[in-house]
Amino acid sequence: MSGRKNFKISSKTDRIFVIMKILLVEDNAELAQNMHSYLSKEGYVCEEASTVEQATSKLVGFKYDVMVLDLMLPDGSGLDVLRWAKQEHKDMGILILSAKNSLQDKIEGLELGADDYLPKPFHFSELNARLRAIFRRRQLQGSSTITCEDINIDTETHVVKVNDEMLDLTRKEYEMLLYFVVNKNRVLTKQSIAEHLWGDYIDALDSFDFVYQHIKNLRKKIAQAGGKDSIQTMYGSGYKFEVYQ
Amino acid sequence: MKLILKFTLLFLLISLGVFFVGGVITYQVVKKEIDEEQERFLLERLEFFTNWIQKHSPEEAFIREKIQIYPLNAGHETDVVFSDTVVMHRTLERLEPHIKLDVIRAVNGRLYKISLFEIIVEEDDIVDSVRESMIKIYLLLTVVMLVVGSLVGVILFRPFNQTLDQIKNFRLDQNSPLEFSKTGTVEFNKLNSFVQEMTGKIQRDYRSLREFTENASHEMQTPLTNAIGKLELILSSGQLTEENNDRIIATLSTLKHLSKMGNSLNLLTKIDNREFEKIEQVNLSDKLNAAIDNFSELIELKSLDLKSEHEQNVLVAMDATLTTILINNLLSNAIRHNVEHGSIKTFLDQKSLIIKNTGPALGVDPQAMFDRFRKDQRKGDGLGLGLAIVKKICDYSGFQVQYAYENENHKLEILFRK
Repeated sequence: MSGRKNFKISSKTDRIFVIMKILLVEDNAELAQNMHSYLSKEGYVCEEASTVEQATSKLVGFKYDVMVLDLMLPDGSGLDVLRWAKQEHKDMGILILSAKNSLQDKIEGLELGADDYLPKPFHFSELNARLRAIFRRRQLQGSSTITCEDINIDTETHVVKVNDEMLDLTRKEYEMLLYFVVNKNRVLTKQSIAEHLWGDYIDALDSFDFVYQHIKNLRKKIAQAGGKDSIQTMYGSGYKFEVYQ
Repeated sequence: MKLILKFTLLFLLISLGVFFVGGVITYQVVKKEIDEEQERFLLERLEFFTNWIQKHSPEEAFIREKIQIYPLNAGHETDVVFSDTVVMHRTLERLEPHIKLDVIRAVNGRLYKISLFEIIVEEDDIVDSVRESMIKIYLLLTVVMLVVGSLVGVILFRPFNQTLDQIKNFRLDQNSPLEFSKTGTVEFNKLNSFVQEMTGKIQRDYRSLREFTENASHEMQTPLTNAIGKLELILSSGQLTEENNDRIIATLSTLKHLSKMGNSLNLLTKIDNREFEKIEQVNLSDKLNAAIDNFSELIELKSLDLKSEHEQNVLVAMDATLTTILINNLLSNAIRHNVEHGSIKTFLDQKSLIIKNTGPALGVDPQAMFDRFRKDQRKGDGLGLGLAIVKKICDYSGFQVQYAYENENHKLEILFRK
């Protein structure tokens, strides 16, 4: 547990850890609980709301860094919360969850100022990666660089350095590395990696074996730069970016 | 045949019978009237000649045209008797039917046999004139009915035609029910209120069916997310045997599969429900090129050789969202059911879109390819819904889609105009 909390973010003030406050607006108690426990382990502080009313009353009283918002709520649409929240808390990041997976909802949500849209069902590692991306975009962690052991990633310039040596990565390799680093010490399935990298186009492939090829290339490049090989193969069906700190 | 014309013709047919009976009645009335008139006339003349006999007391028979008076020596008085006879007509110089009055009367104490004749109006003449007038009136009626019928039909049936127009333009997914203006005709008001009630009910049923389908698909996604999340938590605990690890990963992939199936079925339902109605001129060339661009990495990953021959600016009338889904499904299909180092060829012109890809022959009947859940049993991982969606979109957009297997190539051809 303590190992995971040591996710180190280097910034000018060299803060070791920044507490992120997240409001989970989700009417399904089980899912809210699941996300809560998962995100707590990631070091976030979470609060839950299950209705439009609860959500707005929480937003009146407290300030959150990010709101994870389900669109289908028992007493109304999450879009109403979104509209209201955007006026009151301009700095708050918003991630929409939707069971509908409808293009219209997505466009409307993003036009109203949401940062991202994640259709259900999702991998929790994907949720984590999206939340991190929102933090980075909104500069909530003070800097755009992520350091994890000997790897340094600048998410603005997309430059990756290992021991100060620049890596020449393809876009997919870069995205994959970032996904690993953000979800370090977690088992990532090939499917979740493939979906993260290719999104909906993944349907075109009959197996996720090509993920292996990308990982092989990435490892090779890190090794060539003299970096530590942190990517562990888990019995051939998943991968883990292992960090001991 | 128009209702009003049918009605007119039926009316005219019935009128024909009525006119026939009417003619007979007219004939009888006229005939009776004439007969009575003639008898009265003869009776008047009888009075005249009776007076004449009183004055002159003729001893000899008095015979003139149309009158014969014979003094009688014996006998007795009789009643007036009318009968028909035939008499030579002096001016016409031929035999003509006459009405005859016979009576024996005592005048000044003497008996006289008096016979009076009068030419009668012939039945033929009456029949002719009745027939002629009836035919003329009937023709007049026919013309008037046809002209007035067609004019009045337009006016009377205006509310009906308005109702028809409204029904024709009725769409299930429009939110407002049909509204009819009040007409002055009881039948049309009944029809309108019935149609209004019926369409309203259909709309409500349709809406609840659609909501059910959508909800069923959506409601499924949240529990699936729960299950996936929990499995991921277990997976990350790192305390699993290799066997259980594999089982969990397999279960994760099954859950994803289930979720996608729900989404695909939902999409099919949405197309069926005609939720994609924004028909516009879509530039298929641009869409296809963009989609190929998106898939290019996956095509490379599978080391596929892609050849494209596209005519520029091919415009088709269809919903833009459906276009994207259609093209993505086709390309996705061509990549998925391909072999390593295989090839994909795409052709696009104004008439058709053809996508060919290498791949092993199918284990199923090509004609059944477009059925839901019909797939090659040897490839168990697809949804079996991709081509059903392609077919549905084509049907919906008025395109024709054909499948063929030639020279170890799967060929899907979409013809834009039927």
